[in-house]
Amino acid sequence: MVYSLPEEVLEHVFSFITSDKDRNAVSLVCKSWYEIERWCRRKVFVGNCYAVSPGIMIRRFPELRAVELKGKPHFADFNLVPDGWGGYACSWIDEMSRAYPWLEEIRLKRMVVSDESLELISTAFKNFKVLVLSSCEGFSTDGLSAIASNCRNLKELDLRESEVMDLSGRWLSHFPDTFTSLESLNISCLGSEVSFSALERLVARSPNLKTLRLNRAVPLGKLSTLLHQAPQLVELGTGAYSSGIRSDVYTGLSKAFLGCKELKGLSGFWDADPSYLPALYSVCSRLTTLNLSYSTIRSPDITKVIGQCPNLQRLWVLDHIEDSGLNALALSCKNLQELRVFPSDLYAADVNVTLTEQGLVSVSQGCPKLQSVLYFCHQMSNSALITIAKNRPNLTCFRLCIIEPRTPDYLTHEPLDIGFGAIVKHCKNLNRLSLSGLLTDRVFEYIGTHAKKLEMLSIAFAGDSDLGLHHVLSGCESLKKLEIRDCPFGDTALLANVAKLATMRSLWMSSCAVSIGACKILSQKMPMLNVEVIDENGSLDSRLDSCLVEKLYVYRTVAGPRSDMPGYIWTMDRESANRI
Amino acid sequence: MSEPDVIKPEMMKSYIWLQTADGSIQQVEQEVAIFCPFICHEIHAGMGSSKTYPISLPARVNPVTLSLILDYCRFHQVPGRSNKERKSFDEKFIRMDTNRLCELTSAADSLQLKPLVDLTSRALARMIEGKTPEEIRETFHIPDDLTEEEKLEPLKNITDDPRIRLLNRLYARKRKELKEKEKLKNVEVEAEHVDDRSVDELLSFINGENGDSKEVKTAKNKKKNRRRKEQQKNAPPVCANSNTSSSPSNGTKESNGVSSVSRDDRVKGHCLPNISELLKLQDSEDDRFALDDDFDDCDIGDGIDPEIKEQIDREVEDFARRLNSDWPERVQELLSLGQERRPSLYSINGNGCSTKRSNASGLEKHEK
Repeated sequence: MVYSLPEEVLEHVFSFITSDKDRNAVSLVCKSWYEIERWCRRKVFVGNCYAVSPGIMIRRFPELRAVELKGKPHFADFNLVPDGWGGYACSWIDEMSRAYPWLEEIRLKRMVVSDESLELISTAFKNFKVLVLSSCEGFSTDGLSAIASNCRNLKELDLRESEVMDLSGRWLSHFPDTFTSLESLNISCLGSEVSFSALERLVARSPNLKTLRLNRAVPLGKLSTLLHQAPQLVELGTGAYSSGIRSDVYTGLSKAFLGCKELKGLSGFWDADPSYLPALYSVCSRLTTLNLSYSTIRSPDITKVIGQCPNLQRLWVLDHIEDSGLNALALSCKNLQELRVFPSDLYAADVNVTLTEQGLVSVSQGCPKLQSVLYFCHQMSNSALITIAKNRPNLTCFRLCIIEPRTPDYLTHEPLDIGFGAIVKHCKNLNRLSLSGLLTDRVFEYIGTHAKKLEMLSIAFAGDSDLGLHHVLSGCESLKKLEIRDCPFGDTALLANVAKLATMRSLWMSSCAVSIGACKILSQKMPMLNVEVIDENGSLDSRLDSCLVEKLYVYRTVAGPRSDMPGYIWTMDRESANRI
Repeated sequence: MSEPDVIKPEMMKSYIWLQTADGSIQQVEQEVAIFCPFICHEIHAGMGSSKTYPISLPARVNPVTLSLILDYCRFHQVPGRSNKERKSFDEKFIRMDTNRLCELTSAADSLQLKPLVDLTSRALARMIEGKTPEEIRETFHIPDDLTEEEKLEPLKNITDDPRIRLLNRLYARKRKELKEKEKLKNVEVEAEHVDDRSVDELLSFINGENGDSKEVKTAKNKKKNRRRKEQQKNAPPVCANSNTSSSPSNGTKESNGVSSVSRDDRVKGHCLPNISELLKLQDSEDDRFALDDDFDDCDIGDGIDPEIKEQIDREVEDFARRLNSDWPERVQELLSLGQERRPSLYSINGNGCSTKRSNASGLEKHEK
């Protein structure tokens, strides 16, 4: 006997189901669930803005309140994607402004956003609350002025790591005096100074402000003023963290931090002067997140701070922390879940920081909850990787960046195949992996065999032949994003695995061995994929099928080929259009 | 529960009468029943005070669910209980089969009993979370009425692709063979000979040596016949070897802040995809841990359907033609690895390590 729930009851049940994956599953159960679900879906995540068109999204989900979009491929962060590639938010914002008058939240990553679009957002959506622009570009502080002036109910404005044309700092003063709903503000990427009095007044009239990330230009001397106005802060990003030798600044700061009983996260710390660090000791015991990656303070000072943070869950730091600091971390921070160690100087001839694989091994030993690792270093060994794998089978994200390409195990001079093999074998829930060092096809065999939950894989300067790529494409069942550069992978493996590409979000291959001919075949065989060849060296039409492509970006889509491609991108459709 | 119509004087509680859609009537303590807004409204409208004027409950409430709802109300309407007690009761209360839970949710909704609606809805949501559509259908006994197009299901995974399976089996077969030979032989140098057998012969060499060759022979013959029949129509232009270009150095040295770092591209030459390395066997003794050998015994007996193999061969040839490359030659190379390279790969030196580095003959590796 089947009992079927009435529609309004089902809708109420669905209101408790929020994750994208679960909502997608619900929509595929049966026709009536599909219909009910699409009418009550309130937020949507589109991982590739070219995989679907705004029209299709709007038709299917008429009542959205929150939209998240991602544009450029991840390798854009490493300057591998040329300017003008795309990722324009304009058409999305235009269509949404007409379709969703009640839209509240827009989150964009690696997209190009114009001032006009920002202005449109500020006027079209009456109840607009959240704007997050992560690694975006194309707008100026004028656009921010519009947001500040018009969004009466704004809660969150987060510009993390965006490239903003910084015309002046006056935009902040455009928040009206009646505006009191601010909960989160992140302007850390802005260069110019904002009017401090405007900032102070804004903070003072925002009783719900929980997150405040200042830019470098806010002087340390003024930080205590802001903290006194907002003792309820949970996340703080300081400005420049030095002020010469000023005992009054120090005392003021110390007192201000003492008053911040809710503070859990700290970031900023540009130009950090170690003598000012003790001012924040009073908040250390509550800290769960600490980002010191913009500060050049040395290991002993870092260690002193970390030693007082037993509840630390997330630490981002430069390699100045050195092995000694990581050993201290392993001893003090038993709740650590995420560690990111960035390189302080990539191009130094001699390495003057003592950060080796040992630091990471210590942390893997001492921190039982460690799940996510990003680690830049100069040397690694298979035995270290095996130890890490055995210590931490609960790792879900492992990104190792040995700075010099093709570096072998420094002890045995072997490739690091078995080390990474151990990682994928032991860490059964690994969903993100970045490889580096000297690697042969063997590591890919291990990955294809064991990494069944892997969703994102980044490969550079690795492998010997097509077999490597074949192992990955044929073995990694959960793979969604694959990005490859400078590997000897070519046509054979790609064409033998075309069906796999339709199950993935995207594939990026640059400086590999894929030919134009193979791209043509791929396009023909798989109409649900957009096969985009990037070649800045001139017209591809005259080249032979056997010529290698510079960069290839393949992604599945229901929106057909895109209409905003720059001249240096070639697709099959373009080619046939030219022939006519 | 059936109470007599006469209310005993010592019982100070008042009772009201409820009727479910099936006609059955029951009597319930008023203080319990008014916990339901629907019933509360009906009482205020004057209903339910006697057996002849019972409150008609909505159709979605049957006697079983009514009983459950009343249990819930009876517990929660007592004011003195702690949150902990209430939570504990709730957790035990919702433990029931899916069907009953659905009925209860629906009934509670029709009686406007919001706390119970939320409790049951959340329980149902938890039963849905983390499941695939198929699993959800099973849990709730829902028939699948979406068409394939409507589902836009991702294509079935690649392990089903016969071409991939063939490739995997070939590699596995070869590797296994080489392993066995290594165990048997001593250090010696075999006379190298150039392997110029055709693809067909190689396939039969691999398949035939270890058993059932009938199937393969049939396939082989079929294939040969077909080859003779087929004509290559469009002779593609001759291509240069596509593997010799070197990668343009395109990594730039800028770094945008410490969190986005570009890789320093100093690789001059491009590593030749070295097919002869494809099947090199590493020293499994030196592995510090044993990997499960997933590329296990694949019995050729239960191997690939000859028709599918034909189709694969056809497609492979098709690719080769289009790519202007000599696929049969490539396959030949990789399958003949054992014959040509074995001596140098398997010469055992002092520590039994892989001799990849000491093997300079012909294996060009462009390394930084």
